[in-house]
Amino acid sequence: MAKLESSNTVVFGISIDSPPANGAFAKQIGVTFPLLSDMNRKVLTAYGILRKYPMGGDEYEWARRTTFVIDKQGKIQHVDFDNSAINPNTAVDVCLDLHKKSAP
Amino acid sequence: MKRSVITAAALAGLLLSPLAMPSPATAQENAMATTTLKVGDVAPNFTLPSDQGKPVTLADYRGKKNVMLAFYVLAFTSG
Repeated sequence: MAKLESSNTVVFGISIDSPPANGAFAKQIGVTFPLLSDMNRKVLTAYGILRKYPMGGDEYEWARRTTFVIDKQGKIQHVDFDNSAINPNTAVDVCLDLHKKSAP
Repeated sequence: MKRSVITAAALAGLLLSPLAMPSPATAQENAMATTTLKVGDVAPNFTLPSDQGKPVTLADYRGKKNVMLAFYVLAFTSG
């Protein structure tokens, strides 16, 4: 996190959980960045990462585990999916590179 | 004669089977193919409620900060 702050990057977590649930989750795992609630799945749909999960004979639509890095111009610079999105190191390195490039 | 009919039927079965029964791998690939955003695309703007009170709008960071978005499946799970 310190690395990211020094690279002028803000971090947000996003899921379909409610803000109170996310608040309790943040406390439990000790994250300091905001967790955002996409309860109607509009953002997941816009980003193309709404995924069907079978459970108990039914099907639910939740987020695919994905990390996006977006630069100051609003362009996507890096995407990690699924297992590769568990380890944020590559995405962090992209942020550091972006910061280096934009530094005067 | 009978044999050739069976052979023909088997051949037809072979040719048709990929259409009738997609393999698990194919089904998975289809699920994966839903991603529409890629590197270089403009990230769609959004405003979402935050657990920290104030709603967050992506466009507010334009020209100011890089943004990392970490989408996770569900709270209180390791997924």
